Amino acid sequence: MTSSVDGFFGQFGGKYVAEVLRRPLDELQAAFEHYMKDDAFLKELHIIQRDYIGRETPLYFAPKATELLGGAQIYIKLEGLANTGAHKINNAMGQCLLAKRMGKTRIIAETGAGQHGLATAAACAKLGLSCTVYMGEIDVRRQQPNVAAMELYGAKVQPVTSGSRTLKDAVNEAMRDWAANFENTHYVLGSALGPAPYPDMVREFQSVIGKEVEKQCAERNIEIGAMLACVGGGSNAIGFFAPFLEKKGIRLIGAEAGGIGPGKGENASRMCSTAARDGIMQGYKSRFLLDEDGQALPTRSISAGLDYCGVGPQLAALGRAGRIEFTSILDREALEAVSFFAKNEGILFALESAHAGAAAMKIAKEFNPHKAIIINMSGRGDKDVFITSPVFRPSEWKQFLHAEIERLENNKDIHDTNIMGGC
Amino acid sequence: MTEKIKLMSHLVAGYPTDDLAFLAAQALVRGGADILEIQLPFSDPSADGPLIQTACTEVLSRNYRVADGLAFISRLRKTFPKITIYLMSYGSLVYTPGVANFCKKAAAAGVNGMIIPDLPFDNDEGLTENCLKNGMVNIPVAAPSMASERLEKLANSGFPYIYAALRTGITGRQTSIDGSTLAFLEKVKSGGSKVYGGFGIYTGQQAKTLASKVEAVVAGSVFVKIIAQDQNNPELMEKEITEKARELSNI
Repeated sequence: MTSSVDGFFGQFGGKYVAEVLRRPLDELQAAFEHYMKDDAFLKELHIIQRDYIGRETPLYFAPKATELLGGAQIYIKLEGLANTGAHKINNAMGQCLLAKRMGKTRIIAETGAGQHGLATAAACAKLGLSCTVYMGEIDVRRQQPNVAAMELYGAKVQPVTSGSRTLKDAVNEAMRDWAANFENTHYVLGSALGPAPYPDMVREFQSVIGKEVEKQCAERNIEIGAMLACVGGGSNAIGFFAPFLEKKGIRLIGAEAGGIGPGKGENASRMCSTAARDGIMQGYKSRFLLDEDGQALPTRSISAGLDYCGVGPQLAALGRAGRIEFTSILDREALEAVSFFAKNEGILFALESAHAGAAAMKIAKEFNPHKAIIINMSGRGDKDVFITSPVFRPSEWKQFLHAEIERLENNKDIHDTNIMGGC
Repeated sequence: MTEKIKLMSHLVAGYPTDDLAFLAAQALVRGGADILEIQLPFSDPSADGPLIQTACTEVLSRNYRVADGLAFISRLRKTFPKITIYLMSYGSLVYTPGVANFCKKAAAAGVNGMIIPDLPFDNDEGLTENCLKNGMVNIPVAAPSMASERLEKLANSGFPYIYAALRTGITGRQTSIDGSTLAFLEKVKSGGSKVYGGFGIYTGQQAKTLASKVEAVVAGSVFVKIIAQDQNNPELMEKEITEKARELSNI
């Protein structure tokens, strides 16, 4: 099950869209199939990956974590060192370049955590395309640093106030825009889900992560026991796992958002939770958090990027077939992993990726010391400072925010502001 | 033209309440509506514009269930035994309980046909078959942007009715009816299906232009807008709905 057959991965996938979206999807599929065999396109993409994205990203051996956790050698694929801070740029750049070849001048995208929006905004700035990013109002609030950066890149960030005002609503809004404007517009979907050809296309553009890991491990004689990635929609996971799907000896583990607990509405766990069921939504068939009627259930996670009710169809199919194991990580455990890797390795995980880190911390002991487990740090954690600061240093953070608001309201220069205490 | 125009009018079940939606349905029938298209609210109605999505979100926030929507349809069926009732919704609500099961319940509530835009006509999870088994029709939705081979395939698939969305995009914006619209309608009809034409129909003038080309003219957002505006004044709501329906159906 390395790619779809007519858009389906086993029973999941498909193209469940209104006819208005059929033509843009069919045209996209034809263009994707054409350009993935076009040497000039692939060469241009490769040069951008090397010089702009900063590939290859390092495969880092984590000595202190290995020592402290016991068992397997811990490696971290530092995908967060890619330009714009996460793996999202791999797909955004690939799709924007494809859109340009298709003659599109305008790009739209949805974003949850803001990392995909940021990557798309940067790719558009680099390639000279106009860019509108749809983002749920709640996510706009919790990911302000990314909103600010998208605007710096010249993108228009459009807050979405409908429905639950999070990622799924941003997807709906982007689909509506695309249905009305597909002649000049390409919709850069950020995860390996949605109607065909997106799951295949996003996996292909993200598989650069897994291909590099394969090469890096071969060069350094690293014997892989397990690979771990966080799973929201699952684009970093499927790209990281792609070259290893048929290598039976390697365990592939997806870490879902366990939120605050196992109850309905308390997590975003589609493969581990009892509230999940087979469903059809947002253009594809997969595992979703739905009620008995088929309405989307509310989800909850400290990480905006995992806070979504569906999962990529290929991952769902591989999960059902038993090839990929899924585990659920609580908000609290993800925060502990952020702190653990920051203090012991000098590496700051994004909250999303910290779910994979936390899962690795749990299973390291199950392996012999000659085996490696590789964590995909899909993004770095700079963007999460507004979420992690209130947890790790609540009173200092509150003081800072008060002082900053006072300064802005009084229109004072930073040098003239009240001293925050301490010095 | 003085002939009555056949009108299919759209309502969101339970919006703003079951009783007001029922009043609106009565006003529509009084104004000449021949077919009621009842939308069961779904959490993610991606083919609808902000107006209808907001209505759906509002209804769902009261914990409105599919069973409530079907009960609303039953009530309409009892009051208007001769009116045709179509159920419009999204694939998730049909697929999750099982397509066969859903169709059985819909038929029992008095539904005559189903409009589910995100279940494609050539991969419909058994919708057409289960509609037939229960004495209903599946009514696929065609769009002007469809590739000609695909449109031809749809037109020749033997559906008794096809809903033609007359504009690319979503519900709720006004549509101009020009030569390309009429050419599209011809293609939709080419396999012998009867065609309902709508999407962005707001005025009697538009309805008249369309009337001779379609089995019925469909209007939705125009009524949802009136209901949204006048929900605190039921008498005015009824009056305006009836007037608008009369204008569109030319009586």
